[in-house]
Amino acid sequence: MNEPDDIKLMERCSKGDRQAFETLLVRYEKPVFNAAYRMLNSPDDARDVTQTVFLKVFEHLDQYDPKYRFFSWIYRITLNESINWLKKSNRLDALDGDTADTGGGPEQEASNAQLSEGMQAALMTISPEYRAVIVLKHLLGCSYQEISEVLEIPENKVKSRLYSARQLLQENLTERGLHR
Amino acid sequence: MTIDPRYFELIQAAIDGEIDAAGKAELETFLAESDEGRAVYEDLATLCQSLDGMPEIDSPPHLRHILLNMAPATSAPRPAPGVWQRIFSGPALGYIGMFAACVALTLALLDSGQISRDAFDDVTGLVGTIANSEFVAPEHGTISVDKSEVAGTVTLRSTGPILIVDFDLSAKQPIRILAEYSDKSIWFNGFAQLESTGTSIAADSGAVTLEMDGKRRYAVYLNNPGQRPATINLRFMVGGELIHEAQLNYGESD
Repeated sequence: MNEPDDIKLMERCSKGDRQAFETLLVRYEKPVFNAAYRMLNSPDDARDVTQTVFLKVFEHLDQYDPKYRFFSWIYRITLNESINWLKKSNRLDALDGDTADTGGGPEQEASNAQLSEGMQAALMTISPEYRAVIVLKHLLGCSYQEISEVLEIPENKVKSRLYSARQLLQENLTERGLHR
Repeated sequence: MTIDPRYFELIQAAIDGEIDAAGKAELETFLAESDEGRAVYEDLATLCQSLDGMPEIDSPPHLRHILLNMAPATSAPRPAPGVWQRIFSGPALGYIGMFAACVALTLALLDSGQISRDAFDDVTGLVGTIANSEFVAPEHGTISVDKSEVAGTVTLRSTGPILIVDFDLSAKQPIRILAEYSDKSIWFNGFAQLESTGTSIAADSGAVTLEMDGKRRYAVYLNNPGQRPATINLRFMVGGELIHEAQLNYGESD
């Protein structure tokens, strides 16, 4: 994470420095898009959420408090916006295994691509709150403490959510023959 | 499972790289003695490896361009301008235009049922952040509609090559409005609405079809690259029946 640098960039952004904004954009566009994609399982929805996230960042430039780290702020917006998106599209409930299944026979599922697809499908079977901790941990590489900061929950809760989320993923992947 | 929950926590912490020296030693002792513990460890490690190995997806190639056009210009954020000023502000148009330019080709090929209106939902709320509230696009004409089914105004504005058709209408029942533009070089460039629902839009070559019900305020953005004189014919229909026709002109009398 690049927090001191991010804060300086945010300060410059709030003064209308386009170059600073571009630097932040280059740094966070892909993680934000990927987090939204893993939360929503749709590149189109992820694109729209990414736009909303950055717009919200600009909208609240003057409200950003530098005592908080920028990444935790933008990732929190990303996850909240993703969950809002799921609510708006009535997709808040975790999908059942059948609905989330991306297809393919058992013999094909051994490939990496299939595993990745199966993993994404399994992710969609767990609740958005569980999905969020998995995304933060495994996609965005956040520590327990950072996840706690992003989600504004105690570290113990982060650990228990991670544990439960992983248990559910294991069960789902086992049912699909993708995990022993 | 007969494993003490404490060891599950240590196993997870070890795999996540969040274990301290004392915990590590305790876990090692436990794993050395427990086949079940080792199996749990390996299972979780395998799962985490698979999760870590999920590939990063490339964001759409035009996304950064769109986002860059949302950037603050050269000044610090201003106090929020009026809602309608937000829509008709110059930089806002820049954003909406750029955003819409990227979707326009798609929109031109699709009917409204295939367009995710949600993509536009935040436009009106968002443009305020980059709005220059001192600029309001000049008007080129207004038509009034006063029918039992629908009443209100439609105003044509412009800024640079962008024509803005500003609808402020109240309909008692679902109505369809067909806006046809005379010059085929004009293309649909975007759509913004104050309400997040209630109006749908479909763009085709040379025309835009809007469907609405209730009191609505929205704007259709058209790109008129040569800034040539143009006529926009508006046809208001209810249940497939034409109830009103009107025309807005750009350029000739300006």
